[in-house]
Amino acid sequence: MAVDAANISSAGASASRLRLRPHWPFIAPLILVMAAGFAWPLLHVLVNSFHPNTPQGLDAEHWTLTNYRRLADPLYGEILLRTLRISAAVTAISAVAAYPVALFIARLSPRAQSWMILAYVSPWLVNTVVKALGWTLLLRSNGVINTALRAIGLIEQPLRLLLTETGVVLALVPGHFMFVLLPLWTAISALDPALSWAAGTLGATPAGVFRRIVLPLTLPALIVGLVINFIMNMTAFAIPMLLGGVRNQVASMLAYQVDLVSLDWPFGGALAVALLGFTLALVFVGQKLAVIGLSSRGGKPEVSPS
Amino acid sequence: MSLEVAGVRKAFGSVRALSGVDLSVPQASFFALLGPSGCGKTTLLRVIAGIYASDAGKVALGGRDITQVPMHRRNMAMVFQSYALFPHLCAFDNVAFGLRSRRLPKDEIRSRVAEALALVRLEHLLQRYPCEMSGGQQQRVALARALAVRPDLLLLDEPLSNLDQRLRDEMRVEIRDLQRRLAITTVLVTHDISEAFTMSDRIGVMQEGRIVQIGSAEEIYHRPANRFVANFVGPINELPLTQVEGDAGGARALLAGQFSVRLPALTRAGPPGSDLTLILRPQALRLGVEEGETANRYGAEVEDVVFLGASSECRLRIGPLRLLAALPAGSGAKLAAGDKVMVGWDAADGVVTDGR
Repeated sequence: MAVDAANISSAGASASRLRLRPHWPFIAPLILVMAAGFAWPLLHVLVNSFHPNTPQGLDAEHWTLTNYRRLADPLYGEILLRTLRISAAVTAISAVAAYPVALFIARLSPRAQSWMILAYVSPWLVNTVVKALGWTLLLRSNGVINTALRAIGLIEQPLRLLLTETGVVLALVPGHFMFVLLPLWTAISALDPALSWAAGTLGATPAGVFRRIVLPLTLPALIVGLVINFIMNMTAFAIPMLLGGVRNQVASMLAYQVDLVSLDWPFGGALAVALLGFTLALVFVGQKLAVIGLSSRGGKPEVSPS
Repeated sequence: MSLEVAGVRKAFGSVRALSGVDLSVPQASFFALLGPSGCGKTTLLRVIAGIYASDAGKVALGGRDITQVPMHRRNMAMVFQSYALFPHLCAFDNVAFGLRSRRLPKDEIRSRVAEALALVRLEHLLQRYPCEMSGGQQQRVALARALAVRPDLLLLDEPLSNLDQRLRDEMRVEIRDLQRRLAITTVLVTHDISEAFTMSDRIGVMQEGRIVQIGSAEEIYHRPANRFVANFVGPINELPLTQVEGDAGGARALLAGQFSVRLPALTRAGPPGSDLTLILRPQALRLGVEEGETANRYGAEVEDVVFLGASSECRLRIGPLRLLAALPAGSGAKLAAGDKVMVGWDAADGVVTDGR
């Protein structure tokens, strides 16, 4: 008995000296892959962005801020602004549609719910290039949308949708809507129905129940979804390229041009760092908003009692 | 206000949850809906609250038909089994919720919240959030939230089932006192017999979507309407009867095909002659009775005696029949397995029912 106890305690002591925890073997491969395949190249991108580019390639001897100054060029500024505008428009449309769709789905039978969710996820299961081709059939001047609008007499001249920002936004919304819908639907389904009943029996109208109970309790899930959605929009490549064309260049197309066509890696690095910084800032703000909404202690009572 | 429920039916798909419920609760009284899970009692409460629309029937409050009135205009309040406190609001805002729905001025909201929280002795926890409160405190806040709106009808859906035994006993008395003091008409849903017995003026026992008996605790315990009610509210002896004959003055039959037995007057059981069941509470049996002391008297053999503190349980055998008798404390000590004893009961202590 005494020997056993001594063995156990010495084994415990050596384990804690080595700081070996049973979960390390499972986490280590992922950390190695992420370090070698993601963190290390990203560090190179960051370092490269401070080196000048020469006709012979990257000049590792000198340091400069030229690459970042170039970002302020109106040409690139316009591209960044357009990327933001398209992404924000898609996220805004998704935000407006999110609650009606999620509430509708959450009230269906479990079986109908899984079919509806599959329907909303399905655009993501289709190859982007195929999806873009499909959208050209819908958007072109003699496409489905224009033909239908003319048939019901809403327009006389066909709307120009293909090779415009509007077309890109229209095509991105269904493709990326599931990133907003899934977390929100999950949060709404997880709400105890007794909360809505309690609010209703206490005199809250259906609109009041939504505003005072459902909305504050599920807003964090919406915000998380909107952040993911926005990032997906910022990094979309095939849809803007095929439906927006070169005249409606977005950041991902510029990055392709700079890194793989011009082979100007220092400027490409600066572009990547700027986009990463912007996206991280957005994730940070989104998380703050979500935490404020989530933590009841963060919010103030509606009226502070004296 | 008084509550009347008439002919209420409700089905979920092919499942009939309520098949014609009639119920009347007088002003300021405490009514308990008692039944096993799945009997439809919670569905009935939700129909009364307006959470579910009934398929047929009528709900009236204070004489006004409110069947079509949406829940937010019924001026009722409900305490849920899960309490359903709003997790993003502190105790003050939870209790103030119904008052803000009614758009009361801020000063009045403040005083009425303080008043409601004082009723449940939680005035010091205004700023606490539900996750920072114990189960008992959450339960009190839920009660305060319901009382703050001064409802015409208070609905309690198994409000005590998530509390430990001591707290539950305490809250029973507390809720009962509050209900009397504030004179609020109250409907309680419970599967707990002692909860229904200690808290309510009248009890409705539900079985498969119907109310099978309405009465006081004593009536339901001693004069159960059928075998289901008798069984549900406590242990019973069920004895098969044959050759039943008699009238409103009194009846007799054969017990287990061999013993003659005197029965109470037949009123609601089936026609004389058919096969019926005699229901006897363990407390109705008396041991060691003398000749002529009780209407029925048989020689029995003791099989087992179990001491339970306040009473003892005695298993007996009369010929082929097994019976359970409850003996007051002390009287069981003299008996042991194998003893021969005379057992008897009065005709009026039995209840005769048909097979149901």
